[in-house]
Amino acid sequence: MRRCLEGPVRWWEGALKGPTAMIAAAALTLGASGCAAMPGGGRVTSVKAQERSEQVDESYVRLIPVAPQNDWSAKEVVSGFLAASASFDDDHKVAKEYLANPTGWHPGPRPSVAVFADRPDLQIIGKSDTQVIVRLTGTQLGTITSDGQYTAFQKAVSVDYQVTRNPQHQWRISALPDALGQTMLLNKSDVEQVFRTFNLYYFSPDKHTLVPNGVFLPLVSREDLPQRLVQAVISGPTAWLRGAVWSAFPRGTKLNGLSLDKDVATVDLSKEAATGNINQMSAQLAWSLGPLSEVKQWRLRIEGRGVVTPDGKNDVQTFADWQTNSPDGPTNDDHRAYTIGAAGHLSTLNLNNYIPMPVVTNAPGRMVRPAVSPDQHEAVGLSPDQKQLLVADLTSNGVPHVLRTAKDPEGRFTPPCWDRQGTLWTVETSPGKSMLWKRERGKPLKPVWHWGLDGREIYALQVARDGVRVAVIAKIEDGRKQVQLGRIAGSGDRIDAGSFVPVSSELAETDDLSWRDYNTLAVLGRKTLDTQVLPYLMPVDGSAVTSLGVGSLGEPQSIAAVPGGPVLIGTKSSSQRLVCHQSAFRDRDSEWVCSVAGSDPTYAY
Amino acid sequence: MTPPAPPAPAAPPAAVPAPAGRVRRVVWWPVRRWLGRVQRVTRRVASAAYARWRRSIQVRVVTSTLFISAIVVAILGFFLMQQITTALMDGKTKAALAQLDEGLGSLQRDVGVSNDSGDRLRSAANGLKSRSGPSGLYEVYVRDTTQIYIDGYATNELRAQSVPQRLRDELRSGTTGTRAYTYGKLSYIGHRPSERGLIVAGKTSHYEVYYLFPLTQEQHTLTIVSRSLAGVGIVLVLLLAAIASLVTRQVVIPVRLAAQGAQRLAAGRLDERMRVRGEDDLARLARSFNDMAANLQEKIRELEDLSQVQRQFVSDVSHELRTPLTTIRIAGDLLYENRDTFDDPAVGRSAELLQSQLERFESLLADLLEISRHDAGAATLDAESLDMRDLVLRTVGDVQGLAERKGSKVVLQLPGEPCMAEVDRRRVERILRNLLVNAVEHGEGEDIVVSVAADRDAVAVTVRDHGVGLKPGEGQMVFDRFWRADPARARTTGGTGLGLSISKEDAQLHGGWLQAWGESGQGSQFRLSLPRAAGAELRGSPLPLVPPGAGGARPLFAELEAGD
Repeated sequence: MRRCLEGPVRWWEGALKGPTAMIAAAALTLGASGCAAMPGGGRVTSVKAQERSEQVDESYVRLIPVAPQNDWSAKEVVSGFLAASASFDDDHKVAKEYLANPTGWHPGPRPSVAVFADRPDLQIIGKSDTQVIVRLTGTQLGTITSDGQYTAFQKAVSVDYQVTRNPQHQWRISALPDALGQTMLLNKSDVEQVFRTFNLYYFSPDKHTLVPNGVFLPLVSREDLPQRLVQAVISGPTAWLRGAVWSAFPRGTKLNGLSLDKDVATVDLSKEAATGNINQMSAQLAWSLGPLSEVKQWRLRIEGRGVVTPDGKNDVQTFADWQTNSPDGPTNDDHRAYTIGAAGHLSTLNLNNYIPMPVVTNAPGRMVRPAVSPDQHEAVGLSPDQKQLLVADLTSNGVPHVLRTAKDPEGRFTPPCWDRQGTLWTVETSPGKSMLWKRERGKPLKPVWHWGLDGREIYALQVARDGVRVAVIAKIEDGRKQVQLGRIAGSGDRIDAGSFVPVSSELAETDDLSWRDYNTLAVLGRKTLDTQVLPYLMPVDGSAVTSLGVGSLGEPQSIAAVPGGPVLIGTKSSSQRLVCHQSAFRDRDSEWVCSVAGSDPTYAY
Repeated sequence: MTPPAPPAPAAPPAAVPAPAGRVRRVVWWPVRRWLGRVQRVTRRVASAAYARWRRSIQVRVVTSTLFISAIVVAILGFFLMQQITTALMDGKTKAALAQLDEGLGSLQRDVGVSNDSGDRLRSAANGLKSRSGPSGLYEVYVRDTTQIYIDGYATNELRAQSVPQRLRDELRSGTTGTRAYTYGKLSYIGHRPSERGLIVAGKTSHYEVYYLFPLTQEQHTLTIVSRSLAGVGIVLVLLLAAIASLVTRQVVIPVRLAAQGAQRLAAGRLDERMRVRGEDDLARLARSFNDMAANLQEKIRELEDLSQVQRQFVSDVSHELRTPLTTIRIAGDLLYENRDTFDDPAVGRSAELLQSQLERFESLLADLLEISRHDAGAATLDAESLDMRDLVLRTVGDVQGLAERKGSKVVLQLPGEPCMAEVDRRRVERILRNLLVNAVEHGEGEDIVVSVAADRDAVAVTVRDHGVGLKPGEGQMVFDRFWRADPARARTTGGTGLGLSISKEDAQLHGGWLQAWGESGQGSQFRLSLPRAAGAELRGSPLPLVPPGAGGARPLFAELEAGD
């Protein structure tokens, strides 16, 4: 027995001699200590917060259509085609399967779209075994043109699809309605799903300030979105802004390619761009690509050759390089606010302590709704009955004199406004009629050549800081006061102010408005007709309206806003008139503070 | 070991203005030379490696350890990766199914059971997707099976083809609450490359929800793990090889020492011993080796002593027999001389017989003495410068009578000039006599040719007979002691059986050769070659062993066989 045990023991002793023993011991120790275990303690590690992705970065949902089935009827084929039209994948590959002749239909990446309220009705006309007409009837809400401009135009539509049976006994659409051409029919929810609004930027006539041009682009794939945006910018503004703005891209410029390396995009333009102003083209691209979070920096190339902009910097540009071209104009924190003081004098309002200081001491109470010229030499306002347009020379502490009196007995003026060039704008309006007046610096007041809303009563008009877009509150057919956005085109005597389109349908009624920044209007309005008038922020690109501030305001009368400054609201309560501001204006939800006695606040440029 | 290097390529004809057609060759030339060099180096390395492999236990052990441990580590690594992958996928699947449950719940809340509006489903899909957070952990595909024209809603760039048909079938055949998962390839529209993914699916009433999780993160983890495993495996294998090398070194060094000792022992250095260190197995080996060496040494000494004793004995016996033999001889001579005086003729005949056997006995005794002198190393060379032709003539004269009796004629082929050599006259005469007597006896009455030749270093004598010849292999055996070509033949004529043995010893004493050639029916030839100067080394013979005109390839072989 002892001998039996001795053998293995000896073997062990032999095997575990020298380095082998050491290595075995090391392996055992390592094995024991390095056992995979989750940490159950340890020191605290601080982590930086992830950057939040922006809105366009958020996920989107794509409709996946079905290809036509063999046993579908003619009606089903048309329904399937309408549904499949909403899928932009692979250049409408599936939708084309519904067509007998797929090559005849080229919707392209930016098709024109007729927007329907919901799925239209279909009806079969004819009883042929091989060919029938499917009639589609429905309500069209509006159209999106191929350049991305949405125009609301509600009408009843009835179009015919010709459906034929092919040799395989399958129904296929052999002829699309002539009335539609290449236009495709989509219902509202499809459009909401597929299309996104983007701002393209073009220069105002001063060739320095950019003007946003909101367009609808189909979001086919996030990957080629930057490319499509740049293509859209190069192809020029939509019909709405055409003539009013100026694009730095020379005619014929094309996008050779856009590649994205991490967050640096390289935009390669065709050789035509060489004649353009590099800085201005860069500014347009910078602002248009700005909202895309995947593009943080970018470089411009023309036919593959890098161009260095802005002067002296390297060829990689950031969006911060082009802040001076902001549609808001040059911004600083030196905002000059005015109000009509408690005693009825035009006063400056110190935005630090909110104390009004009168600038004129003559003729108190003669002028309401003042507007101060950019050079602060003149103040224009209305008489308390709003029938007279008054002007006062601030340099001479002057008494206001009448610039014009409304002709119509029911006529009145909207609160006047100045644009950056020192041009004065106001609308003389009476029920069912209006006229836009303009006074250039040092010239007499003149009506503009064309005014697109001359058949409507206007309640407010504010020219945006870019000097091209105009926001108005107009009375529409059903008697509601609606915010509309138009543009001023032309120059000299042939000024055309028109192309007004509704901005939002979320507010039932609006009373007053002011430009908060290039994309947002501060408005006084109400969501339904029986609620109180409250301040709201209304983005002009059609996004959701949000309320501004909390707390009671009394009866808001007028609103004034400026980029980067507090929104001021003139309110009236039974006893007195007050000017309200937010306790912390950078926080949208901060409380309203009504402490300044005064009325009709306004900002000068 | 190394194969002879191929002849170096000739230098390219660079200086010669080459015609256009040769430019290509000139361009290719360095490449080919380089290739050739690589080939040579490779071959050299391979053969060197093979040689090392064959010669060194250490190399063999380390190589096999490397090989085997690499296989083992590879197998282990494979299984480990399998385990890790399974664990990782299990975790992912569990999390995915939990996500699916949550998604199904929210879908039920959002769209309700009875609602079939596409828009609601669409917003539900949006809602499901928005729960993935900013990192985009998964994509969702939602289907409403009651919708005819819409297959479903996919989030982001996901293609509907990412959901494999087998999963759809599984869900279609299942009831509400069915959950299933599979792995597939997620494909996307645009340029995004497709990737592997985990696809979980669930069904509630007529809605089907598919969650597609890209497995990029897992793939990344697995890549890291597999890389570290590979690294650890390589280190482990190398470590094992190093250990094996270290351990074998400890074993191989003593073995090499032992081999060295054995070699020296084999070379005759019987005093060689191994050093014994410690008391392990190798020490035991050394001790056994030393014991063996001691035993061998002892045995060899014993055997040497014994052989010495035997030689002494033979010498002593020969000497001791001489004295009585002399007496017997005198008596025998007396009897022989008076044989005619005996009445009985049988007695006379006996006296004759006695006389002849006595002579035979005497010569046998002389041969024994001679050979024992050779064995004891006591034979000495009494060299003087002599003309071989004289020796040959004298010996032939001695044998002439015997040859005539046998009917043979001795033909001499002697050179014109003297063939001087430093030889022992007695011994060379004895050799020649032995050869001639042998030739006469086996010559069957045919002619016997004796040739003499000399060159710068050596002289040679051949004795050619045309008798029965020798059988293959007998060329060597003729020189064995007491060997007879035909054992049945009576030992009547001459020959004690020691003659050729003694002759060979004599030739070797001169530093010469004594060789035999023979072929059945062709007769035989013996050649004695001696160096001209006593003690000089013999390099070749002036005469061929095989007589010209006899034999083919075989006799040549016999020469090689006979040559010492």
